[in-house]
Amino acid sequence: MKIEVKDITKKFGDKEVLKGISFETESGKAQGLLGRNGAGKTTTIRIIMGVFYQDTGEILIDGKKINREKVKIGYLPEERGLYPKKHISEQLIYFGMLRGLSKQQAREACSKWLDRMDMTKYKDKKLETLSKGNQQKIQLAATLLCDPQLVILDEPFSGLDPVNAMLLKDVIMEMIQSGAAVIFSSHQMNYIEEFCSDICILNGGKIALSGNIFDIKHSYPRNTINIYAHKPDDVSSFIIRSFADKIEAADIDSKNACVIVKLKNEADKDELMLRLLNQKLDLDGFNVKEPSLNDIFVEYAEGGI
Amino acid sequence: MRNFFKILKFEYLTCVKNKAFIIITVFLVCGSLLFSLIPGIITAVVSDENAADKEKTKIIAVTKSSYSDDLVKNELSVYYPDKEVKIITEDRNTIEKKVDDDEYAFAIDINSPVSFVYITKNNSIYNMDENLIMNAVQKIYTITQFEKSGMSEKDIKSILDTGFFSETVTTGTDQTKNYLPVYLLMCVLFVAITSYGQLVTQSVVSEKNTRAMELLITCAKPAELMFGKVIGAGLAGLSQLAVIFLSLSCSMKFAPVDAIPEEIRDFINFTPDTLLMALLFFLLGYFIYAFLLGALASFASKSEDLNGLTTPVLFVMMGVYFIVVFICSGDIIDSTAMTVLSYIPLSAPMAMFVRATLADIPFWEVIISVALQIITIYLFGILAAAIYKIGVLMYGNPPKPAEIIKMLKKNKGS
Repeated sequence: MKIEVKDITKKFGDKEVLKGISFETESGKAQGLLGRNGAGKTTTIRIIMGVFYQDTGEILIDGKKINREKVKIGYLPEERGLYPKKHISEQLIYFGMLRGLSKQQAREACSKWLDRMDMTKYKDKKLETLSKGNQQKIQLAATLLCDPQLVILDEPFSGLDPVNAMLLKDVIMEMIQSGAAVIFSSHQMNYIEEFCSDICILNGGKIALSGNIFDIKHSYPRNTINIYAHKPDDVSSFIIRSFADKIEAADIDSKNACVIVKLKNEADKDELMLRLLNQKLDLDGFNVKEPSLNDIFVEYAEGGI
Repeated sequence: MRNFFKILKFEYLTCVKNKAFIIITVFLVCGSLLFSLIPGIITAVVSDENAADKEKTKIIAVTKSSYSDDLVKNELSVYYPDKEVKIITEDRNTIEKKVDDDEYAFAIDINSPVSFVYITKNNSIYNMDENLIMNAVQKIYTITQFEKSGMSEKDIKSILDTGFFSETVTTGTDQTKNYLPVYLLMCVLFVAITSYGQLVTQSVVSEKNTRAMELLITCAKPAELMFGKVIGAGLAGLSQLAVIFLSLSCSMKFAPVDAIPEEIRDFINFTPDTLLMALLFFLLGYFIYAFLLGALASFASKSEDLNGLTTPVLFVMMGVYFIVVFICSGDIIDSTAMTVLSYIPLSAPMAMFVRATLADIPFWEVIISVALQIITIYLFGILAAAIYKIGVLMYGNPPKPAEIIKMLKKNKGS
């Protein structure tokens, strides 16, 4: 299944909050929506879910206009909310049935997901008696009950402690591996980097950057090399001696026992690595220094709103 | 509408499992049982009190007057058959002391042919003695005057004891028989529509307040949610009314009917036609107002906002109720104003209910009014669903009517 968001625009009053948003993802992949607060992530997600209508543009599933009744969608809204005074299993079954499951299927799915979330012991409790983190897990169970083809998670990690965040991470990975298409927004770049093959950075209602994370990172200059060694001073001396005309700088990062070399021409990196290996300098490793997703986010998202 | 019945069931069960709803139902059922049993209890207590009264002094003291002692005794005995009438010549202070000491039940000082003083230990608003004595003294005066004119005692009795009988033949609707039950049912209609309408508003606001709304509107269509809520709460209300009505009917079967005062019997003397009409107009009125209230509630961010939003609608309901009550009490049920009100959908549930049960109107008028109300319900339902969709995700100050219309137009165009 392929989902395409094509050139979506949206105005609230005179304020244009989305100015031509486009991206796509497909089964077994995750698309990360990044952006500062107010960049348009939640509005985009709400338009995909049919909460709002777009002014222009379209949402396509396998090339056809989306029919939300025919696609099983799991949605975790930014504004978390279930029925606080209702028993957990009762409301999970209700939401499962609203998502198209029969009562029996909803019961089974409820048991499965409560078990997966380690929440079975609370199934007959009222939601309001649970801690915030556990309520969040119940909310996630409600999202995934219908075994969705498309999972949309708006800030799924906010409010979770590290243990629950790990559980959520595992669940999302399972969903991706089982063939679901996942779209999620988050400020936590490490999670985006772990799950998402593609990202879309929104800034002021526009797409500032989108594409495959690997390709985006490879689009940056690859002329800075990190060389890890037991004695970084020796490595640095060798490089300055042997590559003086080919480098711009060779700085030592003592804390990480690393020499950071900036080449004038990135084509010279293979030769540098080969010669270092031949020198038997007791190297621990080397890699091309890539920008982190955080660096990319800050570069593209700052100053837009 | 694949989710409509799921939402309907969920809303229905949510309402009937609600603690406040259960408590009110139990309270009303107990009230209806007491209603049918209390008159019997009161009768038993009153008869006990009467029996106790019999033990007490039974002397009515009457001062010597210009009237014949036997005539005074005879006429007062007609009104007080279980008491002894004694003619006395004591002074006023002695009489009052003896009344105060319960030696006399009460005393009458006939100080002139046309005036008397009624002396009693205690008096209450329910004490009818003074009126009865007045009747007796008037009769004594009349007989005495007739006797003075030479008429025989037999002729006088014959004239004074003549009874009169009358009968009313009604060719249309007998309002005197239906008025009290219809009036009571109109009150029930007003209270039921208002109360069950509040169930809908509470449901909408609580889902918005707990933020469950965003998940709900991505699972189901706004029309499914709105219709499910309104019909679910309506069915819960009907269930409650049915339970109360059944308990009242059952308890009335076992209650000693004679013990229930005639005034109360008149109030609950519902005919099947009147009940069916009440049920029909309850449903119509409930749906009209519940959709309006539900739509307005979708703009409330929290329960406190509800008052401001729903008060105008409740004022309309109250206004209609008081106008219809005023028209009924003024005996102008067939007036033009009432006819017009019975076709306006917001006032028709009450106005047409009253006209259909108390006035002699052609059946087609009821059909047209009901048809107009059904069309209005459909339109209000669609409008409420559209308003609901834009309202449920709005937080902060509720929008002005012009803004709502603008948003509706924009949403329709999307």
